[in-house]
Amino acid sequence: MIPYSIIVAITGLLLGLAAIAAFVWAWSRGAFENIDDQARVIFEPRDLRLLRPWETQAQQEERRKLYGELIEPAPGEWGGGE
Amino acid sequence: MTNPAAEIAYREDVELRLRADRSTARPVLFVFALAIFWLLVGSVFGVIASIKLHLPDWLVRQQWLTFGIVRTAHLDVMAYGWASLAMIGVALWTFPRLLHVELLWPRVAMVGAVSWNIGLVVGVALLLQGRNNGMEWLELDRYYSVPFLVLGGACVAASLIRTLIARRAPHLYVSVWYIVGAFIWFPIIYVAGNWPTLKGVESASTNWFYAHNALGLWFAPICLAAIYYFMPKVLGRPIHSYQLSLLGFWTLAFFYALNGMHHLIGGPIPTWMITTSIVASVLMVIPVVAVAVNHHMTMIGRFGALRYSPTLRFIVVGAIAYTAVSLQGSFTALREVNRITHFTHWTVAHAHVGAYAFVTLALFGAIYYIMPRITRREWPSAALIKWHFWLVLIGISIYVIALTIAGLFQGLALLDPGTPFQVSVERTIWALWSRSFAGVMLTAGHIVFAINFFLMTRGPEPAWRIPPLHEVQPVIYRGDDEVAP
Amino acid sequence: MTRLWLLLIGASATIGFALLTLVIIPQIMLLEIEAPPELRPYTPSQANGRRVYIANGCLYCHSQQLRDEHFTTDVARGWGSRANVPADYVYDRPHLLGTMRTGPDLINVGSRLPDPDWHLIHLYDPRAVVPWSIMPAFPFLFEEKDSAAVSPADRVVPVRGPRAPRGKVVVAKQDALDLVDYLLSLKRDFPVQTTSDRHGTEPAGSPVPPAGGAASQPATGAGTTAGRNDGA
Repeated sequence: MIPYSIIVAITGLLLGLAAIAAFVWAWSRGAFENIDDQARVIFEPRDLRLLRPWETQAQQEERRKLYGELIEPAPGEWGGGE
Repeated sequence: MTNPAAEIAYREDVELRLRADRSTARPVLFVFALAIFWLLVGSVFGVIASIKLHLPDWLVRQQWLTFGIVRTAHLDVMAYGWASLAMIGVALWTFPRLLHVELLWPRVAMVGAVSWNIGLVVGVALLLQGRNNGMEWLELDRYYSVPFLVLGGACVAASLIRTLIARRAPHLYVSVWYIVGAFIWFPIIYVAGNWPTLKGVESASTNWFYAHNALGLWFAPICLAAIYYFMPKVLGRPIHSYQLSLLGFWTLAFFYALNGMHHLIGGPIPTWMITTSIVASVLMVIPVVAVAVNHHMTMIGRFGALRYSPTLRFIVVGAIAYTAVSLQGSFTALREVNRITHFTHWTVAHAHVGAYAFVTLALFGAIYYIMPRITRREWPSAALIKWHFWLVLIGISIYVIALTIAGLFQGLALLDPGTPFQVSVERTIWALWSRSFAGVMLTAGHIVFAINFFLMTRGPEPAWRIPPLHEVQPVIYRGDDEVAP
Repeated sequence: MTRLWLLLIGASATIGFALLTLVIIPQIMLLEIEAPPELRPYTPSQANGRRVYIANGCLYCHSQQLRDEHFTTDVARGWGSRANVPADYVYDRPHLLGTMRTGPDLINVGSRLPDPDWHLIHLYDPRAVVPWSIMPAFPFLFEEKDSAAVSPADRVVPVRGPRAPRGKVVVAKQDALDLVDYLLSLKRDFPVQTTSDRHGTEPAGSPVPPAGGAASQPATGAGTTAGRNDGA
């Protein structure tokens, strides 16, 4: 009877190798490129350009630089008046 | 916007989100309403159970009200009623948003939600009559209740998978991985846990394989998916490091699944199994720290946003609680710590940091964001939101602090063979009273939330409305046809 | 599509590995455990009592597992003469190991409290015998009858003192009797041979009494199917 620890060790190794192979395959297919684009897929342009009332001047500058001119929130949105 | 091409692109984007929200409105609203119903039911069960521990002769005449039944009803209603249904709602709403396509097979999802609820009603009714499978987290009757739950979950999963196949988004955002993972993992562990032929210590190891993985591979992933979506969304900043989120996901998937035996440390289980789980529990520090760093670096310098967004308030507290409960868990899995804490109220407190401070608060945050977008109305009362937040935050803090300290007293007393068992009980009574007090606060918070929710569904037809107060404003929603994403 | 495949394969692989290591292989290993000769299967009455135990949620306050003497003080506290091993639970379907000690551990309560009347009174009203107890009372497992209505077949519970119901006699229902039957069957302190499971599983030798009350290692290191519970 093969000791169970060997079965576990071999299975673990096989699964681990399969996982690494899957990762390498995915890498070669470009799954890990454009990481920053992947992070931004949840936004649309207006989202990122909205002026947020809690942001400091420096943070608003950074936002302006990255995404373009900032948009005032409309009435009813954060900080937007009547 | 002055650029016409950008203008067109923007309108298309908005159209996309509008269609996504319209397709999910009915099933998600249905599921949220049921979830909140179960939240109230579970809260009442919880408070009754809590009171019975320090007033043990209260309501003892009927079997269905005995502590052992009410406490279990509380757990199963909260886990499979409130949390699971709210999470199903979050999954159904976020998928079309993340995949840039409408929800497909929405009627199948509805059938699934109905079936799940039938299973829950049947299971709880039988539980109150004393029908219990006998294993923690797996009490709902495996012949009359579980099939409905499995069918319900399968139908919801079918709708999500169909939508996933039809996706048009260029990338799969991290929240999608967590949700897909959860819907792959949960059916597998649930079937394993409910396997009818188990006995002896293998039923124990399978029991805790299921129960712990329900926390880490069903509840945690979907709530993490919510935090990963709503935190950047509200802030208008992408998550700090997408690479870290990749690492966090895969290390969670691999290590978490091996944790289960840490519930049985010292028990009649082969040592190698327990050691594996302790090692995996400690290795959980890796994904937890990865996630914590990600969240913190995304939030840093922008905590002022908490004043403006209730969603963010709940989500941020939930995220902090996730880090806290996971690190506490890694710590508790160490044998020397476990020697003191096992079998005590420490574990109950720990469970509620996870199930309440993390899971429930994250779900509250998600609901606060989603509801305006599917009902096309604003939350009626900012005051009720404020009450909700503070009642539950203070309530859970009292709960956790009291029971954690009491658990340590209890554990230390139990550890000394010269100290009578009586001492371990008497040292906890003050905390049991505190927990009941906290439970009443939490229930009050839930009632407040339910009222606001109900009023929102009853509101007038979508129309332009200014939110009631300026200093605390729910997340952006513009009352006209266009929904700000 | 690549990422989706990676996700599906990866997620399945991780749960598959965990299932294999923590569920499937242990199941196969533990199939080899034989019941100790001192352990009898539950009688129908005890089995029903076990059902009552589960139905009323006793497992949420009481554990049924004594941890290793080298690790902690469960045995030193007097809850049993030895730590428990997997063989103690072969007839338990499902396990009732428990995770809370709001009340004491019960795996040897049949040895520690062998008087059925004590249990009946305690279930009817815990505070009649243990004043500081927070255990719920289970009056619905009993009937309160007028003395005249008591028949010879009834099992009368001798509740005395200020907490006894005035003018009535407490009679145990069948479920209460079965539950007590079950509790009295909880005696897992017969001697078993315990060795570390690193010797693998082998057919059981005849059980030897442990030297000095603590689990000892036989010189040959012959394993038993009892296995050893986890220790420090």
